[in-house]
Amino acid sequence: MDANRLSQGQLVAALAAIALFIISFLPWFDISGAVTVGGTTIGGSQNFNLWEAENPLDIYLLIVILVALVPAALGLLGDGGDAPMASMATALLAGVGTLLILYQIFDTPGDLGRKIGLFLGLIACAGIAVGGYLSMQEDVGGERY
Amino acid sequence: MGRLSQGQMIAAVGGVALLVATFLPWVGVSGPSLPAELPGGVDASTSENIWKGSSLDIYLLISGVIALLPALLAVTDSAEEFSFVSAATLLFGVVAVILVIAFLTVDFPDGADREVGAFVGLGGAIVIAVGGFRAMQEEVAGAI
Repeated sequence: MDANRLSQGQLVAALAAIALFIISFLPWFDISGAVTVGGTTIGGSQNFNLWEAENPLDIYLLIVILVALVPAALGLLGDGGDAPMASMATALLAGVGTLLILYQIFDTPGDLGRKIGLFLGLIACAGIAVGGYLSMQEDVGGERY
Repeated sequence: MGRLSQGQMIAAVGGVALLVATFLPWVGVSGPSLPAELPGGVDASTSENIWKGSSLDIYLLISGVIALLPALLAVTDSAEEFSFVSAATLLFGVVAVILVIAFLTVDFPDGADREVGAFVGLGGAIVIAVGGFRAMQEEVAGAI
């Protein structure tokens, strides 16, 4: 395995994809409530990570992670070959993923609250999109690091 | 419109079907119906389209617009090069098929019914993917 086989864009996208996968297990949403019984208020909250929240975003972001990681993994194993669509797919899917997470920040499902994972996920997904874009440009220029 | 390839036209039809499907009911919940003359006697059945309670709506909107893009560009006579869009159409169509199937199986609300919009949406996504694939094949054949 030789990391030098990867372009700078592929490396950025792969690292951001690994970060997004780890972040997906942090709390993304929470729900809290309180009841008052006889003057005593009892409250509680429950956190949900990306996989626990009933939302198609989890499947979508898993696809984004795989699309970003597979070309890098193949490149590392020296079996990369030509994957002309890979950079474009990574940039496009991660760009839309960033929009979807941004949409969730402004319009959370139901009465759910926003947690740290949602914001870190946004940054990581944007990182994948930037990596994909850099990789696209490197493909056009034929430049490899 | 004559500049559109067969694949681009297929994808555009799929895009229209997908966009129409987003306004049809996807999820239905049936409850007991009581005679109207009784107090509270109303049909408790209700249905929702995809625009409520899911981020799938935005993704399907983007997929539908991308599938329609070559047709829109041809109508406005504003572009000659569609190759990037055909690849994007295939990509977004395939992912849309995966997401709709996941929604209809894994993520579907318990006890709810699958309504016509979900199936029209799935069909539209499949047609977009097929159209995108054909458009790419036609571009490759045209380049040789």
